[in-house]
Amino acid sequence: MDGDPARRIVRYRFSERLVHTFTAIAYVYLLLTGLAFWTPALYWIAIALGGGYLSRVLHPWAGIVFVILVGWMYVAWRHDMRITPEDRAWRRALRHYATNEDARVPPAWRFNDGQKGFFRVMVAASVALLLSGLGLWWVDLVPWELRWLRFAAVLVHAIAALVTIGGFILHVYMGLLVVPGGLRAIVQGDVTEEWARAHHLLWYRSLRQSDDLDTE
Amino acid sequence: MATLDLRRVSASSPPAPGVREAAVVAKLIDTTTCIGCKACEVACQAWNDLPPETTVQAGTYQTLPGLAPNFWNLIRFTEHEDDQGGLHWLMRKDQCMHCAEPGCLVACPAPGAIVQYANGIVDFQQDRCIGCGYCMTGCPFNVPTFNPRTGRVYKCTLCSDRTAVGLEPACVKACPTGCLQFGAKASLLEVATARVARLEADGFAQAAVYDPPGVGGTGVVTVLAYGDRPELYGLPRDPRIPLAVTLWKGPLKWIGNAAILAGLLGAAVHFVRYGRKAVHGADAAPAGEARDGR
Amino acid sequence: MTNGWTDIRNADVVLAMGGNPAENHPVGFRFVMDAKRHRGATLVSVDPRFNRTAAVADRFVQIRAGSDIAFLGGLINHALSNHRYHEEYVRLFTNATFLVSETYSFDDTQGVFSGWDGERRAYTDRSGWAYELDGQGHARVDPTMQHPRCVLQSMKAFYARYTPEMVSRICGCTPDAFTQAAELITSTGTPDRVGTIVYALGWTHHSVAVQLIHAAAMLQLLLGNIGRPGGGLNALRGHANIQGGTDCGMAYHNLPGYIAIPKADHPTLDAFLRAVTPRATRPESMNFWSNTDRFAVSQFKAYYGAAATAANQFGYDWHPKLPQLAEGGYENWSWAYIFDHMLAGAMEGFFSFGMNPVSNGPHSAKATAALAKLQWLVVAENFEQETAVFWREDIAALAGLKPEEIPTEVFMLPAANFAEKDGCFVNSARWIQWKWKAVDPPGEALPDQEIIGRLFLKIRELYEREGGVAPEPVRHLDWWYTHPSSPSLEEVCRELNGWALREVRDADGAVILRPGQQLASFLHLQADGSTLSGNWLYIGMYTDAGNLTKRRSAADPSGLGRHPEWAFSWPANRRVMYNRASADGSGRPWDPSRPAIAWDGQRWVGDVPDYRADSAPAASLGAFIMLPEGVARLFVPGQLAEGPWTEHYEPQESPVANPLHPQRSANPVARPFTTPFDVLGSAEEYPIVCTTYRLTEHFHYWTKHNPYTMQLQPEFFVEIPEDLAAEQGIANADMVRVTSARGSIEGRAMVTRRIKSMQIAGRKVYQIGVPIHWGFVGRGAQRGSLANLLTHTVVDPNSYTPEYKAFLVKLEKV
Repeated sequence: MDGDPARRIVRYRFSERLVHTFTAIAYVYLLLTGLAFWTPALYWIAIALGGGYLSRVLHPWAGIVFVILVGWMYVAWRHDMRITPEDRAWRRALRHYATNEDARVPPAWRFNDGQKGFFRVMVAASVALLLSGLGLWWVDLVPWELRWLRFAAVLVHAIAALVTIGGFILHVYMGLLVVPGGLRAIVQGDVTEEWARAHHLLWYRSLRQSDDLDTE
Repeated sequence: MATLDLRRVSASSPPAPGVREAAVVAKLIDTTTCIGCKACEVACQAWNDLPPETTVQAGTYQTLPGLAPNFWNLIRFTEHEDDQGGLHWLMRKDQCMHCAEPGCLVACPAPGAIVQYANGIVDFQQDRCIGCGYCMTGCPFNVPTFNPRTGRVYKCTLCSDRTAVGLEPACVKACPTGCLQFGAKASLLEVATARVARLEADGFAQAAVYDPPGVGGTGVVTVLAYGDRPELYGLPRDPRIPLAVTLWKGPLKWIGNAAILAGLLGAAVHFVRYGRKAVHGADAAPAGEARDGR
Repeated sequence: MTNGWTDIRNADVVLAMGGNPAENHPVGFRFVMDAKRHRGATLVSVDPRFNRTAAVADRFVQIRAGSDIAFLGGLINHALSNHRYHEEYVRLFTNATFLVSETYSFDDTQGVFSGWDGERRAYTDRSGWAYELDGQGHARVDPTMQHPRCVLQSMKAFYARYTPEMVSRICGCTPDAFTQAAELITSTGTPDRVGTIVYALGWTHHSVAVQLIHAAAMLQLLLGNIGRPGGGLNALRGHANIQGGTDCGMAYHNLPGYIAIPKADHPTLDAFLRAVTPRATRPESMNFWSNTDRFAVSQFKAYYGAAATAANQFGYDWHPKLPQLAEGGYENWSWAYIFDHMLAGAMEGFFSFGMNPVSNGPHSAKATAALAKLQWLVVAENFEQETAVFWREDIAALAGLKPEEIPTEVFMLPAANFAEKDGCFVNSARWIQWKWKAVDPPGEALPDQEIIGRLFLKIRELYEREGGVAPEPVRHLDWWYTHPSSPSLEEVCRELNGWALREVRDADGAVILRPGQQLASFLHLQADGSTLSGNWLYIGMYTDAGNLTKRRSAADPSGLGRHPEWAFSWPANRRVMYNRASADGSGRPWDPSRPAIAWDGQRWVGDVPDYRADSAPAASLGAFIMLPEGVARLFVPGQLAEGPWTEHYEPQESPVANPLHPQRSANPVARPFTTPFDVLGSAEEYPIVCTTYRLTEHFHYWTKHNPYTMQLQPEFFVEIPEDLAAEQGIANADMVRVTSARGSIEGRAMVTRRIKSMQIAGRKVYQIGVPIHWGFVGRGAQRGSLANLLTHTVVDPNSYTPEYKAFLVKLEKV
């Protein structure tokens, strides 16, 4: 192997990290207040966050912020998120990835197919949450004749939110607990070359070929 | 009202049973003796201290297209021509129907923002209301209305403050023709049934009492000359709590909660079984330690 | 009302025609609903529009505005030709048995009665409009009612022309619709069924108004419905106290208590009393108006107190008398004439109390021009209104004037409204009801009696100091009130009822009145100045037992809604007038389940009898004691300007010539005014029939100041039939302009199925409706949309009420 395996390379630029952080904050706020409205058992969260009314007022604005940030990420990462032939191989080896038999997992570009799936689900769910959320927010403007929109909104918002919660659990679990270095990558932005080779070999090689290793 | 026991409270466990005995009350609206004078509209505003609405003449006698946050009581006017060419000018007092099984209360996420008293009145508590408008989705009658200025939702209280102390609702008090009556629902149903019998004798074979079972019956019992066509009066034929709301507040909630729990548990099981992935480079240790290691 | 609001619930059939009680009398309408709910009564609505009453009616018939007499004539014909009338009642209680003068005739091609002078266009000889008299001056009668000249046969002949087809040609309803309604209405021509008629301004606002009421009275008499619980002919009054106003001499030609006003050719009290006291036309008749001397003298004592003595004819010498006209007849000071005189410059000043002539009189432009001729105008009102600001640029422009051209000095006096002062209302049912002040008047507003009291004291002071023309009535007016500048209405009530000034004894020498005793019966009135009463009709309302108008017992021993201890019902606390007619010739009620009064062998029991209480039925004094005949008039012998029978005449502005007699289309004795403002439009230029009406959401021109009522009906609108709207490309809520020969107003179109086009005399005729209530002053979009900018000034020749309810317009989209 060439290079210093401990040498750190940049995985996420500052802007990406910043956006991700704010997205995460917005999401957590949305999640907590949303759960408060979702089930009376968790309504105490809304009270803890300043009261039910304040939570109801801020939730849609937080949603707008969230969707804008997700939009930014979509624009920023959409090339890296394209499905490649290698992704199909990776997907076939998903079982090995899940059981930490990483040696049997094919190499990935900047994002592996699991991350790409998460990305697509979150973007799609964000769109669904935005549209249904607007319907909930401005329910008084939805004409009675179009009340099916109100009904669709509550169901779509709930289902989409549940989908994001699933993704969120997986995302946080992976990032915090399963993949060492994952948190540092997204918070401080850098990974070791060894980490990059291990998790995103194709990406690492492309960086080397283009001599674009932006090191510290 | 402190003098009334509660039967249901939104987003809360069932309230403790009270010892007071409260007959289920109701308001009778006999559309066949309503003259559309609108005394009820203003009486409602006067009693409830509601400011006047700004309106325009839109080519109808009807004051507003629909209920409003300061207009909880609206006479709906419909011109209807029957098959024989006979003209009918139908007038129905639109207001909260005080469903026995209220969709608004089911949909409401804010504990205590919507209550149902033991006497059947469904009442909004604006101090608990968070203004989400879910009640507007839950209501099969399009009754609650949102006031953007206060951020709260409003509707007829059946004058719970008057009825709790033995007075009739303000609209009933103001009604000149006796088309509005207030009392125990059981006895009003008798009045309504007798009125329907009279209407049938007068040639309205389809006259009926509108007390829709789909919402468990309503605290507003309506006599309709065309009981077979409630939609002529702007009333749904078979109102129910919307299926979407039932799904949302029922199966979906439990499935969703179970799924969230399953996701969390699944992650825990996975971690215990498979643990972390291999450490690569200096990232072997948690981020902090790695930094220290450099 | 001959009966009363609470009595309507005893009816089997309610005919609402010439009125829209659900709209304009919603509170009293409860009793119509009670009749429907509890008796299964049938409500029939006959109106130009499918209105709120029609909405709850069992049957609705649309007729053209101004065609009511034809409809009623058709009903009379239906009852007579199908024998659907109460024959025994008619024989006993009406003049159907009387013989009509041989010289009476009716020319049905010319549409005029005997005595018409075609040259002078007037009735110059009314001698034929009379009964055939015997040697004693009493009318001859034929109890079999078979004599060809008896009233019943004359009536049959007269109304035979009003066939269902003719009704259809005039009114625009189908013959079937008419006949079906007629069957329902005439179903009450039996002893066991009773029907009532409720009407209002839809009948009185026509150039044939009084004859219209006459037709309705004839119908009810034929059906045997007058005097019976659940029956009657019931005028629903448009204001809380308009009945009280009428009772107390509001109309210029009456003194209080419906005593005719003294005229210039009645130089003495005796001459006056001779002229106004009728003589019995049947030997048995009570002829209660023969007591007019007692009513009048007691009234003069109320005006002039101790100053009224036998020597000065109890003040009659001082009392104003109506001047004669050079061309014959007397000056007319009814509403439309006042403004005609004013426009002619004959008036210096004008007091307007609770009136808004620019808005509520006919022809707003003429009223505005007339006001501009005044030197001063005093308006006492709750709110600023059009009349008080008639000089404003936009209102003055109606009369083609500019503010700087108007010399009139206007004084606006803020007045307390009805809830801000004590006093009495007399409702439609003749109930005199005390009301208690709810709140103090705002700001500087004063109750009317204080405004009048202060004015009077000042005027009297000026007369005493400076003299002037005819100072006596003012100087001698007995202003005895404890607080002269603000008389207590309690004291005014006492005075209206009246009291004994001296001890009064009956024929046997027994004392019936002590000095100072409040009168309890108008039988106690004296013509020698020993009693005082402001209005004989009200006697009994304030006795020594106190102010009975304050009574509020809902007790109803009869179970028929008489409530004898609720307030006081004039006359004599009688709840159903003419109630003798509710029982048959032997004193048994026609319908024992609904008795008004019954003869128990000694007395009449039940309601206060409209009859001598102890006179056995066999004496048959006549059930209509106020008439010299003792029976009700079908045939009216000379009292009405148009003739003894009611004939359909077209409105002054009509889309068609009268189908009965095209040469004489409109009322031949109605006289249009002649100023440049008084123009009538032709059917060619103004093809659409228009009618005006009121809405339940508003009260006259007041409530446009109230944000709560304004929200209910925010803007002036025009009700337009769907086919007319389609023809003119008018969509719902579009702005439209309605124009008559007098003026033009704009408002929102209300396109509706509730008015339909009609076939009138073979022509398609459209009808539209405009509500009053909007104008220049008030909240929201006022736009100067005064309905009375459209109306003309031609009045009924008997009551002098303008024809607000039927005129011609054209309609355009703005």
